[in-house]
Amino acid sequence: MVFCSPRLYRFTEATWEAFSLPVFVFRGVCHPGIFKPMRGIKVKGLSSLRTPVSDGESHVQLSIPLVEEETGSSSSVQSTPEIEKNYVHRVYDAIAPHFSSTRFAKWPKVATFLNSLPSGSLVLDAGCGNGKYLGFNPDCTFVGCDISEPLIKICADRGHEALVADAVNLPYRTGFGDAAISIAVLHHLSTENRRKRAINELVRAVKKGGLILITVWAVEQEDQSLVTKWTPLNQKYVDEWIGPGSPRIRSPSPFTLESIPETENNSKEHEKDTESLNHMFKGTMPLASKDDSSVQNQQEYFVPWHLPYHRAEVSGASACALANGLAKKDDNKGAVVYNRYYHVFSEGELERLVSGMNNAVVVDRFFDKSNWCIILQKTL
Amino acid sequence: MRLFTHNMLSSNIKGVANGFPLRIEVDQVVEKQVDFNPDFLKNMFPKLEWKALVDAARTMGYTELPEEADSSMLESEEFLRKLHHALLELHLEEGALVCPETGRKFPVNKGIPNMLLHEDEV
Repeated sequence: MVFCSPRLYRFTEATWEAFSLPVFVFRGVCHPGIFKPMRGIKVKGLSSLRTPVSDGESHVQLSIPLVEEETGSSSSVQSTPEIEKNYVHRVYDAIAPHFSSTRFAKWPKVATFLNSLPSGSLVLDAGCGNGKYLGFNPDCTFVGCDISEPLIKICADRGHEALVADAVNLPYRTGFGDAAISIAVLHHLSTENRRKRAINELVRAVKKGGLILITVWAVEQEDQSLVTKWTPLNQKYVDEWIGPGSPRIRSPSPFTLESIPETENNSKEHEKDTESLNHMFKGTMPLASKDDSSVQNQQEYFVPWHLPYHRAEVSGASACALANGLAKKDDNKGAVVYNRYYHVFSEGELERLVSGMNNAVVVDRFFDKSNWCIILQKTL
Repeated sequence: MRLFTHNMLSSNIKGVANGFPLRIEVDQVVEKQVDFNPDFLKNMFPKLEWKALVDAARTMGYTELPEEADSSMLESEEFLRKLHHALLELHLEEGALVCPETGRKFPVNKGIPNMLLHEDEV
């Protein structure tokens, strides 16, 4: 994923200094590998969609219009917001080898999709991470890209065709690919415009008739114990990310990230969330009631990644991250803890993102393993 | 980076009207054998910018591709073998890809093109 977005920043000294951020990072594709295996859950689809296999998400990006509204121009939507640089890209870069060592299980739905493609297809994986799906169907040819150079190096070492690029701005000719996948990438993009842009890029890159599989983490996590370990993001964080020097800052933030415990706040929301999910997974009604807005609205999170000390020592990145407050130590767990930014998707949200597109239609949609998924087909 | 990828890549710098094809600067080319898949070649052929492929292959030291090609040539095993070699077995291991309009160089190290743009390029 992601490719995601930041561009060269981290590769230039100047930028480093400019951000005074360190070095680590993250990137796009994370999977529910950290989750327990769950059954695919079929939920009710949106009636307006053609193939109600399951459903979608809805989300309402309410908590924090991160950087989005103000990036009106088409070019600015391609500029990587600081939150993604610091809490996605730098994190994946820092944890790449460890992350990769945990990313090997192939998700059955993705495997089914890839295996359904005709022999000879050129498949584009935008935000390919460690490349676990590259080459999955030996009759197809794959090209992976990711914003994280350390992850792309892992792909290349495995013999895959891969390049460093931003999923929000793919360096591809229009219509060259036969199919594309975006697995666990879009939830690392911090604004709706950027999420839309990434989908548009996938559609642009494939031929007419080409299929695109997109999966994202869902608000409706099957394992609620995981969610309790996430940090809901609130205004304090927004101010923190935006930081000094940003035109968007509302007021200087007196907080530091470390001053905000992971478990803090929103305990009530968590309770409601759990309650709602219990209802959802037991019954056939996946739709949270509209008045359950507090639950629906919490879609912005920091999701921790524990990098064991013995791995953290391998690179100096963690020392930098600690020094800059982008990571913290957890001696009990013997790990450096990074936070990864996630915008988890609500039911119907993916469909809404593509609803305005005139050159692609949703041909399938489903919920599986705590992910919302859609398959698009390019029509023009 | 292999040449089917090169035939897909395009400079996407803001303001660039035609970022294709990227000019190849070669420092090192390596060849690696891969399985022959006629389906892939036949599928790719209509999408290829042939002249860009011929020029790229030549830059990489492979001169066996014909200057012109049409789909009838896909019936020829000999042609398919050449196309296979050009598209899939030649790797730009070290070098750069150069934007045809701006001259901006995208480095290729250890076979990996870095196509990320600077902030002022998006």
